[in-house]
Amino acid sequence: MNIDYSLLTIEMLTAGLALGLLVLSLVVPGDQRKGFGYLTAAGLAIIFAISFAFNGVNKEIIGGMYLIDDFGNFFKQLALVAGVLVALASIPYVEKLESYRGEYYSLLVFATLGMVVMVGAGDLISLYLGLELMTITFFVLTAFKRGDSKSAEAGIKYVLLGAMSSAILLYGLSMLYGVAKTTVISELVSTIQAGQISPALILGLMFLVGGFGFKISAVPFHMWSPDVYEGAPTPVTSYLAVGSKAAAFAAFVRIFMGGMPQIQEIWIALFAGLSALSMIIGNLIAIPQTNIKRMLAFSGVAQAGYILTGMVAGTNAGIKGLAFYLMIYVFATIGAFTVAIGFSNATGSDEIKDMAGLSQRNPLMAAVMLVCLLSMAGIPPLAGFAGKLFLFSAIVAQGKLWLALVGLIMSMVSVYYYLSVAKSMYMGEAADPSPIEIPGSLKLVLIVSMVVTIFLGIYPAPLTGLAEAAASVFALK
Amino acid sequence: MLQQYAGIGAMLIIAIVFPIIVIAISSIVRPKKAAKYKYETYECGLETQGETWVQFKTNYFMYALVFVAFDVETVFLYPWAVKFMSLGTFAFIEMFIFIAILVIGFWYAWKEGALEWN
Amino acid sequence: MIGLGHFLVLGALLFCIGLYGALTKRNAVAVLMSIELMLNAVNINLVAFSRYLTPDYIAGQVFAVFTIIVAAAEVAVGLAIVIAIYRDRLSVELDDFDWLKW
Repeated sequence: MNIDYSLLTIEMLTAGLALGLLVLSLVVPGDQRKGFGYLTAAGLAIIFAISFAFNGVNKEIIGGMYLIDDFGNFFKQLALVAGVLVALASIPYVEKLESYRGEYYSLLVFATLGMVVMVGAGDLISLYLGLELMTITFFVLTAFKRGDSKSAEAGIKYVLLGAMSSAILLYGLSMLYGVAKTTVISELVSTIQAGQISPALILGLMFLVGGFGFKISAVPFHMWSPDVYEGAPTPVTSYLAVGSKAAAFAAFVRIFMGGMPQIQEIWIALFAGLSALSMIIGNLIAIPQTNIKRMLAFSGVAQAGYILTGMVAGTNAGIKGLAFYLMIYVFATIGAFTVAIGFSNATGSDEIKDMAGLSQRNPLMAAVMLVCLLSMAGIPPLAGFAGKLFLFSAIVAQGKLWLALVGLIMSMVSVYYYLSVAKSMYMGEAADPSPIEIPGSLKLVLIVSMVVTIFLGIYPAPLTGLAEAAASVFALK
Repeated sequence: MLQQYAGIGAMLIIAIVFPIIVIAISSIVRPKKAAKYKYETYECGLETQGETWVQFKTNYFMYALVFVAFDVETVFLYPWAVKFMSLGTFAFIEMFIFIAILVIGFWYAWKEGALEWN
Repeated sequence: MIGLGHFLVLGALLFCIGLYGALTKRNAVAVLMSIELMLNAVNINLVAFSRYLTPDYIAGQVFAVFTIIVAAAEVAVGLAIVIAIYRDRLSVELDDFDWLKW
């Protein structure tokens, strides 16, 4: 079998970077491990730049087991850019660790590799391997803070629930294999007939949706996310929130839009229910939260609901909206979490009420938090507005007006709790008015997230073009 | 056909009846009150000390975890070895890379002291 | 004659036993063991499908090999985290892990 290995450049470079970091942390003595964060960010940034060479390449290798296409490339770029931002945002956190600094970054890159493999997978086996590489790495990263009870507890909760969800997902995959008699996703189109839907297929689909629903933290599979988000180290939380979710959505699109468009009416009903539930419950429970990480966790549940509407549309426009929104979500979420990192680094607190008067203590942090939260709420002219516009217009075009209305009403509800954070930051009196200093790497992440969020809101065309190219891989309506 | 089942049926009846007879006889014959050694953990040898639920050192688990991880990876070596002749040189290089990655992991475990027994 | 159905029923039973154990056991190690049962149920499914439905195409068996390896990795990480939390709390009972709201 002849394989063109140059097509796998991104995957090989990412794996090489992760292993190189591990070896470096073995070779360099413990007290001299300083520049690992910058090294990781630079390495991932170079791979990100190289990935643009693959725009427009549409090839498959090993008989369709692995796909190099615009859709995969879009999500690889998403994972890589999120990796760069998270690596930079981790620097002040990792400096506080006594040991295992190199390992932290190595694991971070391994998680990125898992996402990259998962979004490029054209086969259930490679999809599963990518998923598990990502998930197992996140188990370790969640419990990374040694001697911190909360981190260990979040780790064990995530391990037990995550392993259970992947077992359920795997049972669904085995059913799908039994029904379709193939593991190659593109062959599912011809082997699953719309006319003959067996109970085994329905069972498999439900288990698949359940397993991936856990990863995107959609209601009713969201119970783990607030605890894990709160207990995990905050940089890890931000990567978990964007990376894990984006990769699972990419897998959804690959399997359902790419493999089973012929039985659309079945899974669209499932996704519509999940989407509406996530939007309503996520937003309502986010209101009484007092911890910023828990609030962002529930807001993440609601965001999963918005993004799921792209799946409900079941069209190329839906995929475009989904891809566009996920990319924007990366910047908004990492921006908001990075403010939380800087804040807890300086004050040791994650509580919203302690953020009172942040606009006087550090205007940049308050401004970035405001922009990111408003973008998540979908206020024009920020990027989130454009994303929601694409998603909701895609489902309205399919005649699902009710879901768009639920989304709109729930976005308005979300403005309430997002603005109450803003009110606390801008109107509140600080108990301790001393200014907060944040390190340069955090400043860089904050400025990048804010600029991108505002820029893409005003001029979304560059990202729309990429998202459209990604969606055009699928031959839907 | 039916005769074969008759054999199985006879076997089944004997298998049920025989233990009942044996247990019934032994309950008639044996002494009603057991000797005091009957109630010890072991009927001969030293007396047991302390609780039965003892804890092991966590080092033991570290050993076991590292062993499991590396043991299971060798599953990939079997299909490769069986098909080695027909796969050609490139498969050899691929397996070399695979093992190199494992060796890095092993090096890491060694350096972190997961293999020390003290 | 033993057929595909028998294996699928065995797999489904194992999966349900595992799921029941994972949901009801209060000991973290026991939950990990139950999850291992669920994964093995999947392996039975995969190998049976591969043997009976696609005898010339062994993707199912390859899938099972990968599942075994991933399950081992998962359980190794799980046990390592259990050890970490045991050092901290001197307990592996899930009811004791209530510092975060469950």
